[in-house]
Amino acid sequence: MIDPAVGLDEFFVASAALFVVLAIMMFYRAIAGPTTQDRLLAVNVLGTNTVVILALLAAGLGEPWFLDVALIYALLNFLMAVAISKFTVERGGVL
Amino acid sequence: MADRRVLVPLSESVTVRQTVSYAVQTALADDVDPAEVQIHLVVAVPYEADLPEGQDKIEFATSLLERAAAWVREDAGSHSHSLTIETEIVGDQEYLFGPRDYAKAFAAYADEHDLECVILDPEYQPGATAPMLQPLERELDRVGLRYDEAPVERSARHERLVGPGSRSRLFAMFLISYGFYLTLGDPTYTFDLVTGAAVAGIVAVTLSHVTFTTAPTLVGSPLRVVRFTLYIPYLIWEIIRANLAISLVILRPSMPIDPKLTRVNARVRSGLPLLALANSITLTPGTLTVRANNQQLIVHSLTQVARDDLFEGSLERAVRFVFYGREAAATATPKERGDAEVIGGEEL
Amino acid sequence: MIETIRFWAIVVLVVLGLFFTFVSAVGVLRLPDVYARSHTASQTDTLGAGMALAAVALALGWQNATIYTVLLLFFVFITNPTAAHAIARSAAETGIEPWTPEEDGNTGQSQTEGENR
Repeated sequence: MIDPAVGLDEFFVASAALFVVLAIMMFYRAIAGPTTQDRLLAVNVLGTNTVVILALLAAGLGEPWFLDVALIYALLNFLMAVAISKFTVERGGVL
Repeated sequence: MADRRVLVPLSESVTVRQTVSYAVQTALADDVDPAEVQIHLVVAVPYEADLPEGQDKIEFATSLLERAAAWVREDAGSHSHSLTIETEIVGDQEYLFGPRDYAKAFAAYADEHDLECVILDPEYQPGATAPMLQPLERELDRVGLRYDEAPVERSARHERLVGPGSRSRLFAMFLISYGFYLTLGDPTYTFDLVTGAAVAGIVAVTLSHVTFTTAPTLVGSPLRVVRFTLYIPYLIWEIIRANLAISLVILRPSMPIDPKLTRVNARVRSGLPLLALANSITLTPGTLTVRANNQQLIVHSLTQVARDDLFEGSLERAVRFVFYGREAAATATPKERGDAEVIGGEEL
Repeated sequence: MIETIRFWAIVVLVVLGLFFTFVSAVGVLRLPDVYARSHTASQTDTLGAGMALAAVALALGWQNATIYTVLLLFFVFITNPTAAHAIARSAAETGIEPWTPEEDGNTGQSQTEGENR
């Protein structure tokens, strides 16, 4: 009924937009806190959402190199989470 | 002043020889009567006896003890007949979890034989896990046992790079990183082939010891990879099932959650198996690994259902299947062994 | 025929991905303390991201970029729980005590969130 080739690209872009809305919801937790870990958590979820958005846009807009950006973003996101959690602990040795 | 009755934990490290001779020197210092001197050499065996490698480890420990006893006699020289040398394997009857259990085992042994001091090897490394000198010293402080770190020459450290198994580590690391490079690059393009080989070489030399805590074997490691791929569908199924359950809880307006901390003693070794288990537990919703000290997992669980699942230990059995094979998977659930309990927040 | 199945598989995966990410967002906003929030942040979100990435991989078909997407999927599945674990551990080390429902009497330490730093 729906021609697969036509609908899919727009569908990907539209769902990327919805993911953006969900990512924006995370800002509440990132700002409100109340602890550093809460903020870190929110930013981490936001980062994962960004990776997904980038991947969806790569498929939707036909720009495969977006995936390179997504890969690096995922890497940095993980490093950030680990580095900041380590930083908040005086003794060190989080992982 | 000097200690006459000492306990020396041994492991296969580059500095074990120097540690033994330091122990002999301090014990025999100040012209004491050699008959009063007792040197107890112990090897802690952190493996379960029912695992296939357990038997090998005990044989290995016995040979290390024999060698160490010979070193003591050599260092003691003319006193060698009057001093007492005891050798012992500890931990083969119980299950050693980590620094705390080692410290307890040593303290119990020291108590039993009325020993005064532990001489620690700075490179002490029982099993194949990370160096554990600092946590062990902390735990020894806690149980109130005196210890002394042997001053050793660390220049011997580079010997470890060519120790047993390092060639297979290098080779496996090289293959993995080269394969990864070529999947991202273009395997038919000469430039990628050459730069990939260079990069993989550098990675293999610098990181092979970090990546593999135990040397990979030709049969065992691929077998684990195969079993791991069998494990993935099971894990995904568990994740989806638990995710749906937790989604219902979160989306319900009344949000019936009942968060509690639990402690589970997992029967998998530290390192990669423990990482796999901790990550699997975290990935199945409702349970989150807060801490993974040694083999003791502190797990935060969101609902009673998730807690029951955790105590059934199906994930633990699966991880044991991946790393130790089918026979090891048939173990009692954490609940049956009494390894699972609900704890309060103050015990964090 | 195959194309239609693929099309609907992609749609279902993306919608489920959106649903789980939505649940995770709601969880992060609603749940009472860091530990509980880590649950949805690490797990529900990982599944949501994983499903969306799987949909992308399916849509891209058999080409080089698909390998990237599959790698990304694996990476997300390994790093997300590890990051959540690191965050929860750092919360535990900083001395944040987990929230418990008020009605139980066995532990008297149920504090309101935010009292500790």
